[in-house]
Amino acid sequence: MIEIKEQENLFLQIARKLKTKVNCYAIGGTALMFLGLKAATLDIDLVFDKDLERRAFKEAAKLSGFNEMDSRIMYGKKENVPEVVKRSDSRIDMFLFKVINSTFSESMQKRSVNTHQFAENLFIRVADVHDILIMKSITGRLKDEEDIVRIISTSKVDWNIIIEEAKNQIELGNTIAILDLGATLEGINNKKLSEIPKSVLDELFGLFKQQAKTKVR
Amino acid sequence: MKQKLINIADQLKGFQSVEDIQELLRVNRTRAIYLMYQLRKHGFVKTRRTSKGKRYYYIGFENAIGGTSYLETLNKYAPTPLGSFGTHKIYGKAISVEETLIYALKREDIRHIIALLALFKHIKDWSLLYNLAKKEGLVREVCALYDLARKVVKKVRKMPKRFKNLGTPKKNDKYKYIVDLFSSNDFKEIERKWRIYLPLNLRDVAEYRGFKT
Repeated sequence: MIEIKEQENLFLQIARKLKTKVNCYAIGGTALMFLGLKAATLDIDLVFDKDLERRAFKEAAKLSGFNEMDSRIMYGKKENVPEVVKRSDSRIDMFLFKVINSTFSESMQKRSVNTHQFAENLFIRVADVHDILIMKSITGRLKDEEDIVRIISTSKVDWNIIIEEAKNQIELGNTIAILDLGATLEGINNKKLSEIPKSVLDELFGLFKQQAKTKVR
Repeated sequence: MKQKLINIADQLKGFQSVEDIQELLRVNRTRAIYLMYQLRKHGFVKTRRTSKGKRYYYIGFENAIGGTSYLETLNKYAPTPLGSFGTHKIYGKAISVEETLIYALKREDIRHIIALLALFKHIKDWSLLYNLAKKEGLVREVCALYDLARKVVKKVRKMPKRFKNLGTPKKNDKYKYIVDLFSSNDFKEIERKWRIYLPLNLRDVAEYRGFKT
């Protein structure tokens, strides 16, 4: 597990090895830690929108003692897998624009207003809670359910943003994302871990049905 | 860190007194104080006191987040502290007053502009300020705001002549806005001198104690 202070030190070490400016987005547990909603995470998830910056970050991580790892060990044959580096218990997953079944869209980037600057060159923007919720829903891992419930209980979730982003993901060609999002939220609702408005679940199901019809045609 | 301690911090989120902690965790006073000590060691606790001196603990994971922000530096000197929309935290690097001034100016927000006037009093490295302003194309803006600060804030040190000379508008320079479409009715002279529209009037800067009419 990586704790808050450990995470900060780790980023600082890498930032000090960077020779050029690198911008990236923190998603998942890392973002929740920056937002004060979580105390520790298993791995650090970062999304880059430029391959050059991802390469620069990876090189700096290697100089800080990280070793490259085969991402297939963690993610199998999934699409859009990240590049992975590891040092003892700390693992960093570096995605490029796409995160498995979803895209870190322009609207998601715009919503990431909190910036954490490490030394001179590393700028990490923290994904918005709505987008963390969407991406956690899409991964469909059991441990992510806890985080989704935590987000819903501690943050004021605007369900319109979730629906708008779901539509956006369809436009970007990530139709499977809607199915995962709807299924995870429905699962949470059925288990009574948190209350999801019925209208939201209906709308997500409607979007999915619409997509299924289009595909059948 | 033990997962158990994280769970306790999660359970105790928010403001708690020792009695609240005893009740929530069903432990005795000594144990409650010891747990606070453990949580504080991990940075999860901030202590506040009531007017009667009673201790209250603010418990949250966000307390452990380090770094400093431009807003914290700005609020240290500003007459009225500002709230924030979004944060910009910096780790492993001290934030200078000069950098904060340029950051506040770039926000193009009236409240930030009012607050940054107080920073002129604490500028030590004028050449750093000039370089930062030049990089952002804000030299004339800084000069105009400096002249305004000299009028309204007490004990603002003199700006080096070289800074002013370099900032003097050239013949072809057009008027620029600091905040779009906002200009001043009371500081026309400064506006004319630097060809910069100031977004403030006398009433906006009245909160500075050393206000001179």
